[in-house]
Amino acid sequence: MKRRTALKSLALVMGGTIALPAWAKAWNADILSSNSNWLVSPDQQALLAEIVETIIPATNTPGAKDLGVHRFILTMLTDCYEKSAQNRFVEGLKELDETVRASYGKSFVTCTPAQRLEILKAREEVAKILPPEKEPFFPFLKNITIQGYLNSEYVMREVYKYELVPGRYNGCFPVTASAKK
Amino acid sequence: MANLNTDSIKNRTYDAIVIGSGISGGWAAKELTGKGLKTLVLERGRDVKHVTDYPTTFKNPWEFEHRGQVPLEITKANPIISRCYAFREDAMHFFVKDQEHPYVQEKPFDWIRGYQVGGKSLLWARHTQRWSDFDFEGPARDGFAVDWPIRYKDIAPWYSYVEKFAGISGNKDGLPELPDGEFLPPLELNCVEKYFKDQVKSKYQDRHVIISRCAHLTEPQAIHHQQGRGKCQNRVLCQRGCPYGGYFSSNASTLPWAAKTGNLTMRPQAVVQSIIYDDRKGKATGVRIIDAITKEAIEFYAPIIFVNAAAINTNLILLNSTSSRFPNGLGNDSGVLGKYVAFHNYRARVSGSYEGFLDTTTDGRRPTSGYIPRFRNVFKQETDFLRGYAAGFSANRGQYQSRNGLGAELKENLLTPKLGNWSVGSHMMGETIPKETSTLSLDPALKDEWGIPQLRFNIGYDDNDEKMVKDYLEQISDMFTKAGFKNITTSDSKQAPGLDIHEMGGARMGKDPKTSILNSWNQMHACKNVFVTDGACMTSTATQNPSLTYMALTARAAYYAVKELKKRNL
Repeated sequence: MKRRTALKSLALVMGGTIALPAWAKAWNADILSSNSNWLVSPDQQALLAEIVETIIPATNTPGAKDLGVHRFILTMLTDCYEKSAQNRFVEGLKELDETVRASYGKSFVTCTPAQRLEILKAREEVAKILPPEKEPFFPFLKNITIQGYLNSEYVMREVYKYELVPGRYNGCFPVTASAKK
Repeated sequence: MANLNTDSIKNRTYDAIVIGSGISGGWAAKELTGKGLKTLVLERGRDVKHVTDYPTTFKNPWEFEHRGQVPLEITKANPIISRCYAFREDAMHFFVKDQEHPYVQEKPFDWIRGYQVGGKSLLWARHTQRWSDFDFEGPARDGFAVDWPIRYKDIAPWYSYVEKFAGISGNKDGLPELPDGEFLPPLELNCVEKYFKDQVKSKYQDRHVIISRCAHLTEPQAIHHQQGRGKCQNRVLCQRGCPYGGYFSSNASTLPWAAKTGNLTMRPQAVVQSIIYDDRKGKATGVRIIDAITKEAIEFYAPIIFVNAAAINTNLILLNSTSSRFPNGLGNDSGVLGKYVAFHNYRARVSGSYEGFLDTTTDGRRPTSGYIPRFRNVFKQETDFLRGYAAGFSANRGQYQSRNGLGAELKENLLTPKLGNWSVGSHMMGETIPKETSTLSLDPALKDEWGIPQLRFNIGYDDNDEKMVKDYLEQISDMFTKAGFKNITTSDSKQAPGLDIHEMGGARMGKDPKTSILNSWNQMHACKNVFVTDGACMTSTATQNPSLTYMALTARAAYYAVKELKKRNL
C-alpha cells in the first residue's frame, strides 16, 4: 500500500496522474500477497511489539513500538527470509513467552517494564555465552530490531538528518566538536 | 489489394532503422534524425519516459517496504540478475527477469540486462574515460586479436563532440594514457583521496590517482538546458532514473532530442528476429521483428541499419540473420562473428583504513569515485602478463553506533553515532584478451518465448587474467602500505564474467575483411549499409569504462553513413 501512496504523491509532484504500469504490478503482486499472510498470531504480534519496545523504549523520543519496528520485522521475515529462519523466530517467540509465564506466573505483556527489561537482559547474558546455533533467536531479534529502528523515518530524518537531495559534496568537512570520538 | 500492400510497405519504410535504444542506439537516433533521416528505433522492452516512468525516484529510504532489500522470492527466481549490485528494491523494475530470457552457459556468465527504452543507460555507472593510443595500439604491439583500424586521432574529435552534448565532468590531468576531454568542472577528491594521490605521486613515477571523469552535469551549459536537463543534485540515486537529468541517459538526453526533430519513430516491444538481406540487391533491406506482446512478425525497411542491441544481443541478431549469401550470419565471410568476445575483469578488491585526518569527514554525497589509470605495461611490456588494469579508489568515513546494552542504554548508544577511522577501498578493472575460443553461438534447438534461438556462452578467464589479479592485489596493497593505510585486506570474488557489464567484441572492427566484420567506420565489410556501433564492434577492451567510446564511435559512424547515403554508395 505504501508504494501506491508514494506513487500517488509522485503524481501530485509531477502534476499528473500515473497509472501503475503492468511491470510494477508484476513485482508488487508477490509482495502484497505474501504480506497478507502474517507468520504469527495477533497475540504474538502484541508480544513482539512489547519486546521491541523493551529493547528500544520510548523516552523523550519515540520507541520501537511507536515506530512500527515489530511490523517491519514481520514484513522482513515474511518476505526476505528462508522458511527455516521464520520458523526459528516463531519458535523463539513461543519459547520466550512460555519461559516468562513459568517464572513470573504471567505473560511478558503483563509484566512491568522493569521485569521485561530484566527478562531480556538475562536472555542476552545467556546468548553471549552460548554458541550461535544454540541460541539463534535473541541475537537475530536484537539485530533486526536495531535495523528497523535505525531505518525508520523518525531516526533517519530527525537523528541522522537524511537528505534525499543533498545538492553538494564536501570532501574535507570539519568534524564538529560534538561528533568527535 | 496490391495498393493496400504497397501502402502497408510504405508505412513500414524509413530512411534508417536503429536496433536498440540504450547508450549507443540513442546516439544513433540523435545523429540520424538530426541529419534529416526519418528514423525508426526498435526497442525490445517497454517504453520508459524520462521522469514519468521513474516510479521510485522521489522515495525516501524508509518508504521502501523492505528498506531496499529484494524479497527472497524474487532473488530465488532471478539468481543471475540478483548478483548485480544495482538490483535493489528501488531499481529492480529496470532489469529483466532471468526466467523470461534464458540462455545457455557452457561456462558461467552473468548476463545482466535492462530491456526498456533507454536500456542500461538508466543503470550505468557513468564513468567516462577516453582511450588513448596506448589502448588502440595494444593488439598490434602485443600481438593479440587484430590491429584496430583506427587510432586516437580518428576518434578524438568525436569524443569531444559527444562529451559536449552528454556533459562530462572531469579534471584536466594531462596524462598521455588517459587523454583529457571537454570537461565540466570536476567532482572533488576528498582529503584522504588527495592524500593518497600525493603519496602515490611521490613514491611512483607513472602512477596517478585522479577524480573519475563521469557523465554528470556539474555545471550545465546551454546545450544541456536545451535538453531540459539540470545540475546533478548529488542524490546518488541514479539507478532509479534522475528527475533532473543530472546524469546522461538516452531517456534524458538523446531520445527526447531526436524526438524534437520530428523524424523519430519509437517502436517499443519490438524483439528483433533478424536483419533482412536481399541477395539480388546485395544489401540489407530491413529488419524482421516479433512483437513482444502479440508475437506477430512484422518487417520494417530502410536503406541504413544501425545495430545497437548491446554487445551480446547484437551478436545474436547478426548470427540469426542468415541468407544464401550469408549462411553463417550477416557479414560473416571471415567466420569471426561471435568470436573474440571479451570483457573486463572486476574480481579483485583491496581495502584498508587510515588513522589520519580525524578532524575531517565528508558532507553530502558524490556520484563517482577516484580513478587510477592503467600503469602496468603502458609504455613498454614489463610483467609476465599482457596489458593491465585500471582501478577505482575511494575513501570514506562512516558512522557507527555501539550496539551494547538493552533498553534506554541501547537507545542512547544508537542515537549517539560516532565517526570511525577513514576506510579506503579499491576495485580492479582488468583488460581481458579477446580469444578465438571465447564465443557466443546459437543453440541449435533451444528457443526463447519469441521463437529466437538461445545464445550459448563460452567465455571465461585465462592464465593472463589470473596473473593480473595477483599483480593488482600486490601492487594496490603496496601502494596502500606506502601511504600508511592499515588493516589492508585483499579479496578475489572469483565472480563469473558478465557482472562487469562490459561485454565487448564478437563483430570486431579491423582492416582486413578476412579477419574482421567491420571496417574503420563500423560499417560491415561485406554488407555496406549495416553499421554496428555498440560493444560488439570492439577489437580489444582496454581498461576504460567503454560507454563513452561507443558514443563517439556511433556519432562518427552516423556521420559517415549519411555522407555515403548522400553519395548513393549505400
